[in-house]
Amino acid sequence: MILKNTLIKYTFIVIILLTAMQNKGYATGGFPVRPGRLTLSPSVSYFFANKQFDANSHRGAFPENGRFSSLGTSLYAEYGLSRRFSLSALIPYVSNTYKDNTATYLNSGFGDAEIGIRYYLANISYKYYFSLQATAILPMYTNLNLGYNQKGGELRLAFAGSGHLFGRNSYFVLENGVREYFGYESVFQDRYNATYGITLDKKFREQVSVSVGGFYVSSDNKSFSPNPNTAKNFAFNQVSISYGHSFSKKVALFLTGGTFITGRNTGAGSSVSASLNYHIDTR
Amino acid sequence: MLGKFKYLLILLIIAAIMQTGMAKAMSNSSFKILKADEGEVVTNLIAHSDDGIFNSNASYTFEVKNTYHTDQTGRVAYVVPTPNGKPVASDSVQVKISKNSSNNYSFTIPAMKPGFYKINFMINVSDYDDTTKRVFGIRPKEIRSNHSRPADFDSFWQTTKDQLAAVAPNYKITEKPELEKNNRLVYLFEMKSLDDITVRGWLTIPKGGSKNRKLPVFVGLPGYQVELKPMMGEDDDLAIITINVRGQGNSRDVIHTKRDDYITLNMEDKNKYVLRGAIMDCVRTIDFICAQPNLDASRIEVSGGSMGGFLAVALAGLDSRVKLVSAQNPILSDIRNLDGVVSWPVDDIKKYVKAKPGLSYASLMDNLDYFDTKNFAPNIKAPIRVGVGLLDHLAPPQNEFAFYNLIPSKYAHVRVYKDLGHEVPLSFMEEDGHWMRDAFGLF
Repeated sequence: MILKNTLIKYTFIVIILLTAMQNKGYATGGFPVRPGRLTLSPSVSYFFANKQFDANSHRGAFPENGRFSSLGTSLYAEYGLSRRFSLSALIPYVSNTYKDNTATYLNSGFGDAEIGIRYYLANISYKYYFSLQATAILPMYTNLNLGYNQKGGELRLAFAGSGHLFGRNSYFVLENGVREYFGYESVFQDRYNATYGITLDKKFREQVSVSVGGFYVSSDNKSFSPNPNTAKNFAFNQVSISYGHSFSKKVALFLTGGTFITGRNTGAGSSVSASLNYHIDTR
Repeated sequence: MLGKFKYLLILLIIAAIMQTGMAKAMSNSSFKILKADEGEVVTNLIAHSDDGIFNSNASYTFEVKNTYHTDQTGRVAYVVPTPNGKPVASDSVQVKISKNSSNNYSFTIPAMKPGFYKINFMINVSDYDDTTKRVFGIRPKEIRSNHSRPADFDSFWQTTKDQLAAVAPNYKITEKPELEKNNRLVYLFEMKSLDDITVRGWLTIPKGGSKNRKLPVFVGLPGYQVELKPMMGEDDDLAIITINVRGQGNSRDVIHTKRDDYITLNMEDKNKYVLRGAIMDCVRTIDFICAQPNLDASRIEVSGGSMGGFLAVALAGLDSRVKLVSAQNPILSDIRNLDGVVSWPVDDIKKYVKAKPGLSYASLMDNLDYFDTKNFAPNIKAPIRVGVGLLDHLAPPQNEFAFYNLIPSKYAHVRVYKDLGHEVPLSFMEEDGHWMRDAFGLF
């Protein structure tokens, strides 16, 4: 009799846990991309600097009351080709202004387009993900005030994870990319970023994240430029905070503000940006 | 006057309630004091391995806490018995646990051959006797059954599948709007299976999405005499099928045995045994999936526990359209070696033999070789996760590993739970979900 009761108790009804990775919708970074998913992310950003870090990392005003601003728009797209591979593209358009007591310099145009392919390397317990991305950089301009006008390549390793902290869903993304622009005064860049985000509600509608990141850029040309897109030997670290609101499972808006905290041979600027994140599943 | 009386009455009631409450509180309090006076001995057995699996020597720490106000003296011992109860290893130590103190006793069990062993830890002290029963494993991946599968195993099942293929499925799908919830549509489906028997199941799919979308499918397979219902849940990515094989749930039109009789139904003829048809009902379910334009036949997971685990393994061994398998505590593994180890289904089989003149236990075993979980294992061509409980009295770990070790190693994954019986923990199912989502690219 005991046996029968036990048998009744243990003859399983199938259990299934529906564990959608909803929290990762916010942080594409190092997480794998669903095959067939197309993500489109138009964004607008504004960068402003009226101070600079000199070659010794001392902060001071630009000469002649100079100030640099850059208004940029971009379209980022990513498509999941398969479980392992995703394709990405970035097309930026910038409008840079440098003003001082003597003159105003305005340059506008497309910047460096980026086309990348990301490979999902591995995971640890389906919580932590590694990916490697190779990106080709293609200048879409000839004006040297918009960029180096050199083709380049980047390799980026990302480590991302998600979990729970203080009863909330959270995630992190650690990324480091090394980039080389090919040609005269070839520029080497190390771009790094660490992001930690936390959701503010159980439905994953609101989230806030903080990031620390920076550039380390070196080349033989050590001349100063307030524009990080044209300077060839500089470094900076910046902190930023981002707020994300999800209008639906497919549409989210991110507002970000950041400022440089240390630097060398570059402007000491701050930025704000807004980006929309929209995805559709094509399969 | 009446007002005063009322007031007094209320006061009396409050006083009575308070008194009752206080009495209860005092009672609780005095109980605690009494208990503290008496004290207790609390034991905790800690295996020096998270899953109870060891390479050579099992080892444990036996923690004993004495809250009595008197010393406890006596012995702490362990014994490792054979299935027949004879000790193959044992040790004991004289103990003295001072009042209000704790002691730990560590034991290293002599090296054992690959296999699973029961181990009983006993404590016999002044005011307390107890036994803690556990199981440990030694290099279980070296376990091999001493029984091979029939030479015609594959041809038997190919013939069976051919017979199934000759049956027109006649799928019938009925929407059940009254059962909808979690934003999922619910459908009852039925189909003809082996021997023209009608079996039924449930399909639930998320509402919305593009018309061209093909949903990956999770198939839940039933435990012994369990009726599966439509499976719901807030998931926009997955179609979920639950199937009631013949003789179970809403598929009892032709076969409707008493609960205990199902496992032995027509066991004397391997071509008529009920599980032959039940397995084909699962194959037909995969046929059904492949026939639906909105279901993705390239992303099918099958999952089940106990008899559902058995069906999942059998299906995976017979049908390469299955892409992922989760089998929790699958029964009927290494069947010939179940005798003397488990009561069910061995006792029912023996009862069946007695009730049918001319039958022998050996002849039934010959038939059951075609239904032995381990014999499906070599044919599995999809990643499979197997959950094993070391205290499982229906699917013992020794038998489970006899099956598991025959799965091609590149597909095999196992989780062993040292403190569980015929069940897996929630964490197994959570990991299953993540595993499936990762494999199917549902990021």
